[in-house]
Amino acid sequence: MDLADRRDLETDVYQPAEDSELLADAACDRLEEEDLVLEVGTGSGYVANRLAEETGARVIASDVNPHALAQARSEGVEPVRADLVEPFADGRFDAVAFNPPYLPTESDTEWDDWMERALSGGEDGREVVDPFLDTVARVLAPDGVVFLLVSSLTGVDEVVERAGENGFSAVAVADESFPFETLTVLELL
Amino acid sequence: MKESLLEILCCPLDKHDLELEDAQYDGDEVVSGDLVCSECGETYPIEDGIPNLLPPDMREQTPA
Repeated sequence: MDLADRRDLETDVYQPAEDSELLADAACDRLEEEDLVLEVGTGSGYVANRLAEETGARVIASDVNPHALAQARSEGVEPVRADLVEPFADGRFDAVAFNPPYLPTESDTEWDDWMERALSGGEDGREVVDPFLDTVARVLAPDGVVFLLVSSLTGVDEVVERAGENGFSAVAVADESFPFETLTVLELL
Repeated sequence: MKESLLEILCCPLDKHDLELEDAQYDGDEVVSGDLVCSECGETYPIEDGIPNLLPPDMREQTPA
């Protein structure tokens, strides 16, 4: 399914898909009840909710999209409208989870609506992932970890290299193959 | 938002603490009010219980 097909399903809020499930499964296995967790780009709130319900952790959910936050709030998570991790205090989070917009998109085929913002990672697929990797360390507690979903379409090696430049070592903790891409959850320590 | 969220948030511009002003409550939830940076004075609104902490230049440039 390509970007044009995906966006036809929904126009305002990205709904849970295979990538959401893979990220939620991987993070749930590794979180503790006393953890404070941030999910960046929560969309429908599916991942944040599963983390809160299955682990007992306190989960804060951020997004740039007000429609997503309204939906996430109705699901019971704590929503904050935010650009990546910018409005979060230093050193607070035991874990940050992010299923980023990652599909590479030609610049002349972008739509300028909320669904495009949820899916498109710009020409190389890393337009949102890169600034996230450059800023997320500030909000992590000393032993904090990042769970980042990456697609083979986005370039796992490039993402691991960028994470390394920011002082993280990356371990692939889950993956799943589909006809058009392989999805990987990276744990960044 | 819960008032305890204040300890987790900061000003997106200069990372200083935020202060809650003009808060309206529904039970223990803050449903509206303003979050004001203790350093630069920038104001971030809370609407329908959701704090909007986008920097001012991003509030305008987003799709409807």
